[in-house]
Amino acid sequence: MATKLANTNMAFSCRLALLLGLVSISSLLGAGDTEVLEPRELIRAAMEHWRGVTSYSEMTMIIHRSDWERSFSMQAWTEGDKLSLVRVTGPKRDAGNGTLVKEQNMWTFSPKINRILKVPSSMMNQSWMGSDFSNKDISKSTDIIDQYDHSLLKTETVDDHLLYTIESIPHEEAAVVWGREVTVIRDDFVMLRQEFWDQDDILVKEMNSTELKLMDGRVVASRLRMHKTETPDEWTEMIVDVVDFDVELGANLFTLSNLRNPRQ
Amino acid sequence: MTRLFSQFKTILTLSWRNLWRNHRRTGIMLGAISVGVWAMIFMTALMRGMVDDMLNQGISNLPGHIQIQHPEFLDDPSVVNSIDEPRGDLLAALENNGVRVWANRIKVPAVIMSERESRGINLIGIEPVSEADISGVPARISKGRFLESNQDKGLVIGAKLAERLETRLGKRVVITSQDPDNNLAERGFRVIGIYRAELAAQEESNVYAARGTLQDLLKIEGRVSQIVLVDDDYRNVESLYRRVAAATPAGLEVKPWYEIDTYLAVMFNMMDGFVLIWVIIIFLALSFGLVNTLVMAIFERVREIGLIQALGMRPGLIVYQILLESLMLLLIGLIVGNMLALVTIKPLEDGLDVSVVAEGMAMMGAGSVIYPSLTLYDVVLANVVVILLGILTSILPAWRASRLDPVRALNTH
Repeated sequence: MATKLANTNMAFSCRLALLLGLVSISSLLGAGDTEVLEPRELIRAAMEHWRGVTSYSEMTMIIHRSDWERSFSMQAWTEGDKLSLVRVTGPKRDAGNGTLVKEQNMWTFSPKINRILKVPSSMMNQSWMGSDFSNKDISKSTDIIDQYDHSLLKTETVDDHLLYTIESIPHEEAAVVWGREVTVIRDDFVMLRQEFWDQDDILVKEMNSTELKLMDGRVVASRLRMHKTETPDEWTEMIVDVVDFDVELGANLFTLSNLRNPRQ
Repeated sequence: MTRLFSQFKTILTLSWRNLWRNHRRTGIMLGAISVGVWAMIFMTALMRGMVDDMLNQGISNLPGHIQIQHPEFLDDPSVVNSIDEPRGDLLAALENNGVRVWANRIKVPAVIMSERESRGINLIGIEPVSEADISGVPARISKGRFLESNQDKGLVIGAKLAERLETRLGKRVVITSQDPDNNLAERGFRVIGIYRAELAAQEESNVYAARGTLQDLLKIEGRVSQIVLVDDDYRNVESLYRRVAAATPAGLEVKPWYEIDTYLAVMFNMMDGFVLIWVIIIFLALSFGLVNTLVMAIFERVREIGLIQALGMRPGLIVYQILLESLMLLLIGLIVGNMLALVTIKPLEDGLDVSVVAEGMAMMGAGSVIYPSLTLYDVVLANVVVILLGILTSILPAWRASRLDPVRALNTH
């Protein structure tokens, strides 16, 4: 789920998978033939590998503004790239708030009003829990990958790893506002950086993995920061504290009733 | 007969000469009447112009003179409350019944997003061919072009909205709405045109796309939100309304503009009454001056009136004489006032720019240019009111003059 959350805007909804390094690149690429690799195929293959993978994670989200800062702790469950459930566990006054994402639909539950709300399309662009992520970032589906033309800008070797810089330009009718997105992916599929450029080619916002860790057998981007270029002192950071992959998830986990009454 | 005529001539001469005995007083009174009549006609023309403008704008915002739609649509303009495109009887009625313009329209709430901002809007799917006659937006394109076909892929937004979104002509924006099954419907559009409207609120809220493109986006093939009809004159849509209503299948709602927007209807219906009240109020102010002038004129002539009465003039003729005096005063005032109004309104017919107070006008739903509209009805009304009520108010002083006792009157001063 960390994944899902991190799944910011856009290009690859499988970002979580990428972030958590669910995919081993070696299976995709023969050692020497990286040049042959189509960027689009790279992403698609990554998604294929991710399909059906389940995870449980505990995360901390820090929302920073120039004059205040707050943090949430939360639990998240994911199955594949279409199902995810996030539940806030602290601070106390926010505990119990939950978000369920199923395909492209999204529901939130707030114990204070004891009500489940389906997030309407009109609110998709609003902030998710006051963070720099929008509801859309959280719920975006992988279909979006087909809405871009991807090209490999460059490859470089840093610290014994190959880094792929992929530029994704949305199709004319794609539901994407950006002029282009640039993603830096390491050869073990950890996403290091993503940039969002507007149509005048000005950098609007970026997401960086500032810390990588080996967790439950995989390299995970354990600290992710999202911030807008115009307001450098406002950012949101997601920190993955614990993550378990391939966990058993109950059949009722991704349901509205479970969103309201936690049973796991 | 000749006697009556010569009597009338005498009285006429007397009245006319009396009128100019104190030419300064008469001049002032004439000025007052002229200005009063001018104010009645001029201000009425301005108000008519303003209200016409508000009505026209209001109707082009609805839009159309008559709308056919789902009975729930006006209360809940969601994509669920759509109707089939016209066919059968209704289509025949629309095509053959002398409807000047008709068009299918889609109207749904949506969100528009640029890289930096997002805003709630009305997403309107139109048929470009007929749009010029319906909302007039095509004529107000300030940059780029208007939509060209029912399948045009572009988007036309208002200048104010472009500013708010920090986007501009040629850039892509994303539109998000819902299909009838509540699923997300979203798509990127390129801004191909920017329009300006009289009201900033309109520029901010109305976004235009082609009808066919929106039907694809919203997954409502063959369905539309409204069928809009425009007749020749909004004041006279009754007969068209009845014909169309008769051809419309059950389950659809047909409404003329005055039922859709009752505020506009009230404004329209109130206007005549409002003009009458306005004219009467100005007249009331005038009438004090008029009565005062007559009373003074009589007061000065008490001796004289006593004398002509003593010489044998009947009281009735005195009443006539004074009424005639008043009538002449009113007529001259009216002529001058009408000319004044005509002379001041004609040059303003191309529009009176009141952009200094544009914000206030916008709040009322009117544009910042007033086009005075001079109607025969208003001119006749002002003139008739002034003459009738003027004579009426003159009756009392005239009657009192005729009741003077000749002996006493001759003995004053």
